[in-house]
Amino acid sequence: MLTVALPKGRIAQETLEIFEKIFGESFVFNDRKLILETPKFRFLLVRNQDVATYVFHQAADIGVVGLDTLEEQGLDVIRLLDLKKGVCRVAIGMRKGEKLDLSKPELKVATKMVNITKRYFEERAVSVDIIKLYGSIELAPLVGLADMIVDIVETGTTMKQNGLEVVEEMMTSSTYLIANKNSFIAKKDEVLDIYKKISDVIKSDA
Amino acid sequence: MIFEHEIPNGSKLYFGESAKVKRRVESIASEVLYSKGYEEIVTPLFSYHQHLSISDEKKLVRLNDEKNHNISLRADSTIDVVRIIQKRLGRNTEHKKWFYIQPVFTYPTEEHYQVGVEYIGQKSLSSVLGIAKEILDRLEIKPLIQISNMQIPKLISDMFEELSLEDFRHVNIEKFLSLNVEWLEKLVYLQNAKQIDEVISIVPESIKTELLKMKELCSEMACENSVMAPLYYAEMLYYDELFFRIIEKNEVYARGGRYKNEELNSVGFAIYTDVVCEALTK
Repeated sequence: MLTVALPKGRIAQETLEIFEKIFGESFVFNDRKLILETPKFRFLLVRNQDVATYVFHQAADIGVVGLDTLEEQGLDVIRLLDLKKGVCRVAIGMRKGEKLDLSKPELKVATKMVNITKRYFEERAVSVDIIKLYGSIELAPLVGLADMIVDIVETGTTMKQNGLEVVEEMMTSSTYLIANKNSFIAKKDEVLDIYKKISDVIKSDA
Repeated sequence: MIFEHEIPNGSKLYFGESAKVKRRVESIASEVLYSKGYEEIVTPLFSYHQHLSISDEKKLVRLNDEKNHNISLRADSTIDVVRIIQKRLGRNTEHKKWFYIQPVFTYPTEEHYQVGVEYIGQKSLSSVLGIAKEILDRLEIKPLIQISNMQIPKLISDMFEELSLEDFRHVNIEKFLSLNVEWLEKLVYLQNAKQIDEVISIVPESIKTELLKMKELCSEMACENSVMAPLYYAEMLYYDELFFRIIEKNEVYARGGRYKNEELNSVGFAIYTDVVCEALTK
């Protein structure tokens, strides 16, 4: 029996559809329940940012989570497979017409993703003042809170509607199947079996 | 502000029942170890030499002696036990089998109690794995024994330009399988000693030797609850070949392996007392 942590929303839906394809049966969470028990799997519905935490502490053996979240959290879990879904970019956005100038002495960057941002600028030896925000990141440059933002971009519409544009792409993200390190050792048969089956579905979809 | 009830984050407090459990773990461990001819050693809490062996010096709690030489709190017992026995006690004792029951400390305020064993000049890992198993058996803990060999990831990463030790550390199986090498794929899936027999005829000679060492350790142990993980790799201070972890769920109860000190092969392991105590008090 494997416990699978899924992030609430579209990714959970897409992942359950993959499981339905593999096993030819329906996997649906009833009402507002957060646990779905089936003979071979127990699915947990958790917040996106918590998936890797559940897997790291082995409250779940495997999970599905975006690469951006994994990179941000830096938890020691196994990245088994790129599911090639939920593709998005982590990008730097500035007010329309402004140019990214990394030679400025002190840049202010507003973001939810403090660690990714810190690493990116450190690697380029640029000193930045990172301002952690929890939402409405696009607002920060408009009201002078920051010179730029680092945020997730799917289509770019939200940035555009707020008078911002992407000036630099930092990384491409997609959802990954991850596993707990001890579960991979102790339940290798089961983990690799589902890995193989999901991998086949992803390949046939591609 | 620090409240009167606070203790530093990561430090350990045992009292009443939990202290009793800890004492029982240590007492059973010492009983088993004395019966096998091991002697106890208690090394100084302060050390001049930890920074020579610990790769990440930031982990050390550092201070200075009266002549302003760098010293640190003991962050690893093996380093000092082996050095003291070879360099300081060499003239006084020929004894090779030692154990210690003492904590280690890492920056900023982490504290970990351990029972450790070093068999100096011994090559056979089964001689100490059996003891670790016996101690845990006596405590009625029946975990899973993982057997790995640090040489296998090193040999494979030398063979394939595309692979690095980081791929093994992160268990990058997509990359392993993408190489389309039959024996490597079999190693990804390998879990038990019987599967070693199935792959042995197709692996390169150098890997064959290392796989057979794993198989031999498993058969010497007759461990009913064991798993082979030939591609497991972790950055380790000194274990360089056969290696074991004793795990249950997300916890690691013990780990041990073979190591080399000045061309002398030795084997040892450490039981993580805090983890065992937590399991016993649950």
